[in-house]
Amino acid sequence: MLESLRDKSEVALSVKSLRYLLLDPNEMEGYVSLYKMQPIKRQTIITCMATLKKNMADEDAVCCLVIGTESGDMYILDPEAFTVQAKMALPSVPVYLDVTGQYDVEFRITVACRNGNIYILRRESRRPRYCVELGSQPVGLVRVNKNMVVGCAQDTLHCYTQKGKKLWTVFLPAAITTMAGMDHAAKGFQAVMVAMANSQVHVYRDKHLVNIILAQDVVTSLCFGRYGREDGTLIMTTKGGGLLIKILKRTAVFEEKDMSPGPPLAQSIRLNIPKKTKLYVDQTLRERESAVAMHRTFQTDLYRLRLMATRAYARVLEANLAPFSSSLSEPLKMNAVVQGIGPCFKLTLNLQNTSANQPSINLLISFMYDENLYSMERGFFKLPMLVPGLNYPIQTVVDCRSDKGVADTIKVFVLQVGRSSPLLTAHINMPVSEGLVVA
Amino acid sequence: MGLFDKLAGWLGLKKKEVHVLCLGLDNSGKTTIINRLKPSNAQVQDIVPTIGFSIENFKTSGLSFTVFDMSGQGRYRNLWEHYFKEGQAIIFVIDSSDKLRMVVAKEELDTLLNHPDIKHKRIPILFFANKMDIRDALSSVKVSQLLCLENIKDKAWYICASDAVKGEGLQEGVDWLQDQIKAMKT
Ligand SMILES: Nc1nc2c(ncn2[C@@H]2O[C@H](COP(=O)(O)OP(=O)(O)OP(=O)(O)O)[C@@H](O)[C@H]2O)c(=O)[nH]1
Ligand SMILES: [Mg+2]
Repeated sequence: MLESLRDKSEVALSVKSLRYLLLDPNEMEGYVSLYKMQPIKRQTIITCMATLKKNMADEDAVCCLVIGTESGDMYILDPEAFTVQAKMALPSVPVYLDVTGQYDVEFRITVACRNGNIYILRRESRRPRYCVELGSQPVGLVRVNKNMVVGCAQDTLHCYTQKGKKLWTVFLPAAITTMAGMDHAAKGFQAVMVAMANSQVHVYRDKHLVNIILAQDVVTSLCFGRYGREDGTLIMTTKGGGLLIKILKRTAVFEEKDMSPGPPLAQSIRLNIPKKTKLYVDQTLRERESAVAMHRTFQTDLYRLRLMATRAYARVLEANLAPFSSSLSEPLKMNAVVQGIGPCFKLTLNLQNTSANQPSINLLISFMYDENLYSMERGFFKLPMLVPGLNYPIQTVVDCRSDKGVADTIKVFVLQVGRSSPLLTAHINMPVSEGLVVA
Repeated sequence: MGLFDKLAGWLGLKKKEVHVLCLGLDNSGKTTIINRLKPSNAQVQDIVPTIGFSIENFKTSGLSFTVFDMSGQGRYRNLWEHYFKEGQAIIFVIDSSDKLRMVVAKEELDTLLNHPDIKHKRIPILFFANKMDIRDALSSVKVSQLLCLENIKDKAWYICASDAVKGEGLQEGVDWLQDQIKAMKT
């Protein structure tokens, strides 16, 4: 019989009996005779305590003591006689307790246990009503209004409803050392404070991080409430034995800044997008059905366009109509600037020989213009030798003969002695002469 | 002001009136100080925490003071700023034995000094480091250090230690305030 007890004990035994089972058979007799006169008692250790209002909700009303023990039992003691008024059994050892309600009316005890479960007990129930499986060991339990916030050993904070439904989870940067509630009645502010191994204390309102307190040392206990004359005082003790007192500023506001990771707020704002029209839908369908054909047509057109552009470019080059010459013998570049408001304009041609080392000689400049509109000092002249790389500004004066506010283009040709086609051509769009109007 | 009043003013018969705000945390002794400054027949015996604020009057040799004795309790402190416009001088009372709440007093003082109605006003501030009789009360020098009074550059200020229960140190402060107000008016 003793063997079967040793293998698997289904009966809870006292410490003395357990000891007895451990002894060698020859010591057993002596042990029994030593203790046989004393009654066998099962003693246990208190693991957590809380208070429960007896029948009034007032701040200072009479409370019953609620005790959780190492043996996995919960006791509610009568405040006057200290007799056990109710006893409830739990499947594991309770470590954190939260109690609401009144003993005589209705109450609810939330217990976080060492097996990583949370049990919710109600009045008139000897066994738990709801059970929440946490997935890791609980390291703190705080009630905010009707919801439970539980800190877990996996650096997480979970929130559950009274009935054990999970509302949210927050991931923390370090292991939790302690947790406490923060209830500022005057401001109507309720939050959960979580102290962590990285010496920070985070304040969460719902799942939003609203404040971070940096302590010099790891905070091991927290308490928020009235201290002396100040309502909003936070008292903390630290691992190294320090005591910190912080007073909440009267003007403090807690804002839900985007400190918690997750989708940014902008993501949830609905944009005002107009409805899709029939035309749009038809077009989309068509695009989906005949995508290949469309792509081909587009490619053909693109090739055509490129061909046309190349042809036009080649023609320009052949006719030397461009303001630069790429002929190997005489590579030249020219640009023209018109200055003045009229009727007299200054026309500056900047000519540059872009060849590496070959000077240009025997070049001529010729202008072509409407003689009724413009007159020029010299319509045709010879250019000096152009040394490679240097810029030659050549200035001429153009007079506008009309006061009708019309303008025309002047064509500039750079010619070479002995060649019939020009090397370069430039079209200068003359501005309207405003000089007469001004004068 | 009627002609008679003006005449009386010239002749020095009627005293100039000044409005003073009395500010400071709850339990610092504001009401006790003001009560002490009143003529002995007008003084009350038991002082209770002020609710909201109360208006008191007292006279010195040259001036007639109207004091807004504000409640220092947290929930009434937001009333203070509504009277900033009217105040021509401020008396700020500190409980020099309440070391823990010195930060709160500093916070309230800073809020006061940065308020738009006060910030650009050259208004004299008289500080009473009150309850100097309590055994480990801080000295007025220490209080002025903790409140960083040396940072107040654009206002005249003065701090004196006081014991409002016995009435010590009060006259010194009020004399300073009277000189400041007189200097300001002329
Ligand atoms: N020992 C000592 N006690 C003082 C002194 N001045 C005031 N007290 C006491 O401090 C307490 C508070 O004084 P009050 O004058 O009511 O303070 P208060 O600043 O008006 O407070 P509120 O009206 O709540 O803002 C009273 O019990 C006074 O007797 C002082 O100089 N020394
Ligand atoms: Mg008062």
